[in-house]
Amino acid sequence: MKTLTLIAAATALTGLAGIAQADKLDDIIASGTLRCAVVLDFPPMGMRDENNEPIGFDVDYCKDLAAALGVDAEIVETPFPERIPALMSNRVDVGVASTSDTLERAKTVGFSVPYFAFEMAVTANNSTGIDSFEAMKGFTVGAVAGTYEAIALEEYVNQWGEGSTFRPYQTQADVFLALSQGQLDATVSTSTVAQANVQSGNFGDISVVGFAPFDTDYVALFTRRDEYGFLNYLDLFVSQQVRTGRYAELYEKWVGGELPDLTIPGVYR
Amino acid sequence: MFETALTTRDLWFLAQGAGITILVTAISVVIGTILGILFGVIRVQLGPILSAPLTFVLDIFRSVPLLIQLVLTNAFVGIVLQWQISGFTVACAVLSLYTSAYCAEIVRGGIDAVPQTTRRAARSLGMTWAQDMVYIVTPLATRVALPSWIGLALGVMKDSALVYVVQVTELLKSTQILITRLQEPLFLLLICGAFYFIISFPLARLGGYLERRWSND
Repeated sequence: MKTLTLIAAATALTGLAGIAQADKLDDIIASGTLRCAVVLDFPPMGMRDENNEPIGFDVDYCKDLAAALGVDAEIVETPFPERIPALMSNRVDVGVASTSDTLERAKTVGFSVPYFAFEMAVTANNSTGIDSFEAMKGFTVGAVAGTYEAIALEEYVNQWGEGSTFRPYQTQADVFLALSQGQLDATVSTSTVAQANVQSGNFGDISVVGFAPFDTDYVALFTRRDEYGFLNYLDLFVSQQVRTGRYAELYEKWVGGELPDLTIPGVYR
Repeated sequence: MFETALTTRDLWFLAQGAGITILVTAISVVIGTILGILFGVIRVQLGPILSAPLTFVLDIFRSVPLLIQLVLTNAFVGIVLQWQISGFTVACAVLSLYTSAYCAEIVRGGIDAVPQTTRRAARSLGMTWAQDMVYIVTPLATRVALPSWIGLALGVMKDSALVYVVQVTELLKSTQILITRLQEPLFLLLICGAFYFIISFPLARLGGYLERRWSND
């Protein structure tokens, strides 16, 4: 009873002060629906099943967030360039869309802590015996021409010197085909692509043997930058996903392999 | 060569997209035509100078590309007005106004095609303006305007493919979703084209039938 009176008094006071305004978090809970922007042509993060229903890591992540809030999830398909406009025009409440948390984007939207990391993985033909990034020294390696990982890999090959050869390819499929045919001994690509290709079984005796020491592409959830209450909730949600093991479970389900670390060594977030 | 991963479920998915295309088109053509008749009659009655503001607004709808109209309206409704309305409603509203702008021109042309002498004769016989419009102008103007109106309706049906930008999954968007998943663009676009043909063919034939039926010669 005492508590009730206190709450009533507090409510009356805030009402008098004229600052009793519901924020995004309240709005979502009141509306009963969480609208997530998800990219659906980016397997295995977002794609469609044979019934053309959205599936993937990001889709499951959105559903988990909705479940935590106690509301229904609504997946709003947004192509890569439409993710932030969809949020700004209030078509979605949150972006669960593998969005890199760049400082440029942070001028427009607010990011949570990273919920996923695209690491650069080394995939090797098993017959070569390559078991790490360093072990590629002296072998023929390749990647998709012009990509971040290809440029970084070529620099390493030049440093390693004789014996090591770098070969650029036009598409990711060409790289894995060359790898399965033995023209290449190993390649570097994003871990999701590497796992998807290894699991497809289309490329013979290859496996993911480790991570490349290149910069990791951290991706975060985003919402309107002034919604501190919701951003705070998102940070805690990402943390909860990791400590309950749900993050590992989803990673195993959609990607597989070694779980990328979401913390950055030597800094707070 | 004819192997495909397309299933009957996917065809049903496309049919649902076609259903949305038909729905958006039907709503837009009906509302657009009613508004178009209203705007067309107003323009004829008021004359070029008094109706200039209306003409100007309709010209904007006719000259700005539909895609831009959709994107801007969607952004305006969401950011400025903060209304929570569906993309479907936005699509229907924009497409209706777009249709009405073209329809107003068709109606104006139809009314202008009725000889002034015929209309004066009607008024001389003691008909009111309303009677003149209903019994003299409407039957004559409709015959003139019908072919253009059928053309407009078919055009709007195909233009409705652009409403995907406001998150409405119509026929073309459904096709693109399947293309992303199945990687068979040419085959899927062929099927999509066939769907569009199945929708527009009866409308085109209806137009031809009415034209023959209404011609007196």
